[in-house]
Amino acid sequence: MNLEAMVADVRRGMIPATIYSDAELFELERERVFGRAWLFLAHESEIPEPGDYVVRRIQDDSFIVIRDEHGQVRVLFNMCLHRGMQLCRAEAGNTSHFRCPYHAWTYDNTGKVIGVPFHRDAYGGEEVLETRRTTLLPAPRSQSHNGLVFASLDADAPDLESYLGEFTFFLDLYTRQSEAGLEVRGPQRWVVDANWKIAAENFAGDAYHTPVTHASVVEIGLFREPKARKRKEGALYFAGRGGGTTYKLPANSFEENLAHVGYPEEMVERMARVWSPDQQALVTTPGFMVSAATVFPNLSFVHNWPQVNEDGLVVPFISMRLWQPLGPTRTEILSWFAVDRLAPDWFKDASYKAYLMCFGSSGMFEQDDVENWASITQMAKGQLAKRLHLNSRMGLDHEDRLLREPLETWPGPGQAFTGFGEYNQRAVLAIWGDYMLGRDPVGDAAPPSQPVDAVPR
Amino acid sequence: MLPFDHAAHHRAHEFLVAEAELLDNRRYDEWLALMTEDIVYRMPVTVTTSPAENGGAGGGMHHFDEDLYSLRRRVARFATEHAWTEDPPSRTRRLVTNVRAYAGECQAEWRVRSYLLLFRSRGDVRPSDFVVGERTDALREVDGELKLARREFLVDESVLRTQNLAVFV
Repeated sequence: MNLEAMVADVRRGMIPATIYSDAELFELERERVFGRAWLFLAHESEIPEPGDYVVRRIQDDSFIVIRDEHGQVRVLFNMCLHRGMQLCRAEAGNTSHFRCPYHAWTYDNTGKVIGVPFHRDAYGGEEVLETRRTTLLPAPRSQSHNGLVFASLDADAPDLESYLGEFTFFLDLYTRQSEAGLEVRGPQRWVVDANWKIAAENFAGDAYHTPVTHASVVEIGLFREPKARKRKEGALYFAGRGGGTTYKLPANSFEENLAHVGYPEEMVERMARVWSPDQQALVTTPGFMVSAATVFPNLSFVHNWPQVNEDGLVVPFISMRLWQPLGPTRTEILSWFAVDRLAPDWFKDASYKAYLMCFGSSGMFEQDDVENWASITQMAKGQLAKRLHLNSRMGLDHEDRLLREPLETWPGPGQAFTGFGEYNQRAVLAIWGDYMLGRDPVGDAAPPSQPVDAVPR
Repeated sequence: MLPFDHAAHHRAHEFLVAEAELLDNRRYDEWLALMTEDIVYRMPVTVTTSPAENGGAGGGMHHFDEDLYSLRRRVARFATEHAWTEDPPSRTRRLVTNVRAYAGECQAEWRVRSYLLLFRSRGDVRPSDFVVGERTDALREVDGELKLARREFLVDESVLRTQNLAVFV
């Protein structure tokens, strides 16, 4: 496999179909993408009390994400230091300590060794085996942003803030609707026969699929927006390590647009207080409301506003989801419902209902999305797929020039376009290409929002 | 638990078998007619926990938490020509066993527990899958007919191995 040539093809939007199924490439992804990038593990609201923990994975590495007895969130490699047993075998719980079932080495909830049977007799006591200085291996890097806990297996990874870059502007719109931030429920977990990148690309920028794939949810009156015209007028943006899609809303006022999607007055007031003038401007004059988004490599968000009862009540919901690769053609989806912690109870209940109807394991949008992704993955396994380059060039002409100019009056960072285009899918795969080639896509590199050297016409 | 020769046990068992027939044949409108107006239809997410924390449903998260409105919307979606995930449709077989009926809170309502093994086959390429667990239902007599007033389905898997829940449990 000529990796350089493959990445060059990907950057010009001609995608070798085999990147969605190839086992060799997946092994390289494990090392070069998932071994280096910042990866989402959990939200701090999943572990509110001291001793609360969840167990999450980065590829084959299991981590205990725990709030220790001092309130600090820690990410600990879930492997006993003695013989390597998986220390915690539950998915979630609360504990003051973990005791290995093999020989009973015991650790407190900061990860420190607090008990070794026959410590003096068997090991010669503290002078030989210094338990007081011995702790479970922490994740090489772990940091939080707005309560989202990320880790990286690369000890030399840049700080999380530099990694996310200007995408944090948009991340706030999902994860910081008040000073208190989010609370999450879940995750729902299920396994699908699809390559993870298809999901990441779809959420990053595929506004083009919505009117077709999700035609049924419009027909049954569940969600009124996804008609082609409304999607086309929305903006596609990319900034830092992520990008997303928006819908164009009808009004020219911050309050009216947020009310249109179902936010009550008190929540709108809090958003007006915590969002910067530019963040508010996005919703106000151009009337762009965030919908789906992806943070490279495999964390996505969605924000939609369906009708939740017979009386026509429209309420928005937020979901976070992780596309956890299990293999080149298999992915575990972890999907959380998220809502602002200060939202009124009626809103939390209705928003939860909205989420369950639309996304997650039973969601009426997600059902049809996964059908597409599994089908693409299945087709990509064959011999002919190795010869086929999928066309992901929407928005570019024959000479790789942009068919449309980016928006001049975009209030946010990065670059944005209206009209259909596969700018964001190419941007996601351009970052992927950088990692696959062993380059540092964060560092001082130019923002990857325009992966081909596009010249305006 | 009511004895197996109790008339209420028989009625409950018959209800569940007839319901499975409707679902396996995608006769969804008739299935919806079995629901009471105040139906609560839930499938909590199962979480693996230590024995001390008692496993079971965790975090207040569900795969399904439906009322009549959302069940109707789901059925209406299957009736459109654009519910791609069930086009072509799954072949399903619901095996409902270990039925136990209990006297209910009011005379006209019984609590019924049963095991469900849902086999699902789709297309000609992908492997078939299963959704397996235990139902706890409340059956209520409305105008002389039994209706489903409440269902809680506790699934055995914490990570589902089926592509989606475009099937009812």
